[in-house]
Amino acid sequence: MKLVMVGLNHRSAPVEVRERMAFPRVQMGEATCMLLGASHLKEAAIVSTCNRVEIYGLAENAGNAAAGVRKFLHEHHRLTESVDAHLYEHHGVDCVNHLLEVTCGLDSMVLGETEILGQVKDAYEMAQQAGATGAALNRLFQKSFSAAKHIRSSTAIARGSTSVGNVAVDLAEKIFRDLGARTVMLIGTGEISETTAKALKSRGAGHVLVCSRSRERGEAVASEFGGRVISYDDWPVEFPTVDIVISATAAPHPIITVERLTPLMHARQGRALFLIDIAVPRDAERACGELENVYLYDIDDLQQIAQQNIAARASEIATCRKLIAEHRGRYMAWFESRWGTEQTDASLPRSAHNHAS
Amino acid sequence: MREHAFLWAAAAFYAGGSALTVRRLRAGGASESLHRWNVATLVLGFLATTGFLYLRGQNLGRCPLTNAMETTVFLMWSAVLFYLLVGPAYRVSFLGAFTAPLSLLLCLVALLGLSDARAPIPDKHSPWVEFHAAIGVLACGALGLAGVVGRMYLMQERQLKTRRLLPSFLEFPSLEQLDVIGLRLLLLGFAMLTVGMIGGEISYRVVGHWTAPKIAWAVATWVGYGAMVVWRLRKMLNGRKAAQAAVYGFAAMLVTYWVAGVLR
Repeated sequence: MKLVMVGLNHRSAPVEVRERMAFPRVQMGEATCMLLGASHLKEAAIVSTCNRVEIYGLAENAGNAAAGVRKFLHEHHRLTESVDAHLYEHHGVDCVNHLLEVTCGLDSMVLGETEILGQVKDAYEMAQQAGATGAALNRLFQKSFSAAKHIRSSTAIARGSTSVGNVAVDLAEKIFRDLGARTVMLIGTGEISETTAKALKSRGAGHVLVCSRSRERGEAVASEFGGRVISYDDWPVEFPTVDIVISATAAPHPIITVERLTPLMHARQGRALFLIDIAVPRDAERACGELENVYLYDIDDLQQIAQQNIAARASEIATCRKLIAEHRGRYMAWFESRWGTEQTDASLPRSAHNHAS
Repeated sequence: MREHAFLWAAAAFYAGGSALTVRRLRAGGASESLHRWNVATLVLGFLATTGFLYLRGQNLGRCPLTNAMETTVFLMWSAVLFYLLVGPAYRVSFLGAFTAPLSLLLCLVALLGLSDARAPIPDKHSPWVEFHAAIGVLACGALGLAGVVGRMYLMQERQLKTRRLLPSFLEFPSLEQLDVIGLRLLLLGFAMLTVGMIGGEISYRVVGHWTAPKIAWAVATWVGYGAMVVWRLRKMLNGRKAAQAAVYGFAAMLVTYWVAGVLR
């Protein structure tokens, strides 16, 4: 018996191919049963996310099973042209290693992201409910979940945010105790400011005030966040009640100056203010950040922190791989005690088509 | 000498804890196991200090608060005790990392910098004396931990202000959380200090042997912290200034206590 995996991901296939190969959630159980019938697999599970479609299985003959899976993929999705060039295969220990790396976020588009763990868990549960998994895949997936938890808690692979919006949220959480009781004010609207507000709202930020020169635009953005629109000239009036300001106007000169901010800060009785200046040219004078209880970050600051976090995650890859090797070794010891030592199929390369990484 | 062995053991544990603190500040992410070790060193140091205080108490036949060295050890013990109570309650794992260096400093000062000469046994004795001393030092332990929290606040605030984030930035609690913990410790410490002062007044009436420098130190400490409490509750002192007051207030209290001990 041998484990086998066939699939594609964001590195091996463009989005046009990935979207055609995706399995809708509602059809996963049925598709898994069809896969078992159409291929030489004894056990099977389909992992389908926006960035990857991968089929894991157990078979007597890995080569035949992989060919069967490829054929199934073409027939199931009614493809008129071959996608073989985008598919990669892993057999045996490489298959185990691949799933562990996927679940730990090492193979993700955003290195170390944690959403993939939930997606793989969902995929496994659906395969289990369809009765498509057995001892080998049950243990393999369970092992991948425990490895992901271990690696996340003992390395920095998932630490620090890698997008501007989430970096802003991280900073807000290190200034304020409870985001739920906080009011966010958007001065001017734009893609990045709305993304940042969305990230804050998703982590529990309470109220949103939108201050826009265009009433119509302001109302559209406010309704998205369940917030309130205020007149552009009224932002200083609302200022004492606001905790987080996201400023993204097209003003040619700073609209938040030390002179204007100093009396407003006095009225706040020592409450902190997180000022996120996304505008270019900047809306806030740099010196505002030197005022007591004011924390000012512009777009470059946020991007720099995101880049540092990405670099910090990348520096953890070697440590993660060492830990993965330990988990892989334990799984393979169990697998071989049950199905015997793997014999490499001479007619096939060990990994028939490794993805570029 | 057996007593001192416990104290040296405590110093070794706190030194280990302090080394882990430096590593945690630099390591960032992979710090869950470091946190467990950090807490373990504090618990072991606390147990060793308890061993010292127990043996010393047995030898003296009274609460071991008879000289500056014993008082400093008791203060170190109470600061760690408050950490062990406060840290899990607020889920502030990093607080332990900052408590270890303070404990090490107090331990080394007690071992190397202060005289352990036996104080003459006073003619008159009252349990109020021990009550006053013990509650007073416990209050200082709470205020010491408030100073540690203040130090953490200043470090976190500096990172946020300068936008230069340490790898361990995400381990720090939020500024607001640190502010709240610091205020609660200040209120607790001041309340205990007040009870200790009342105990001191009663014991003075009974035994009447407090010296002028010691009385001046106690009154100055109480007035200083009282002013801090009033300013904080009236929101005249907050954020960075409140954190600085907690750090420098505790440092000033310690140094003046040691000086008052020399003068008496």
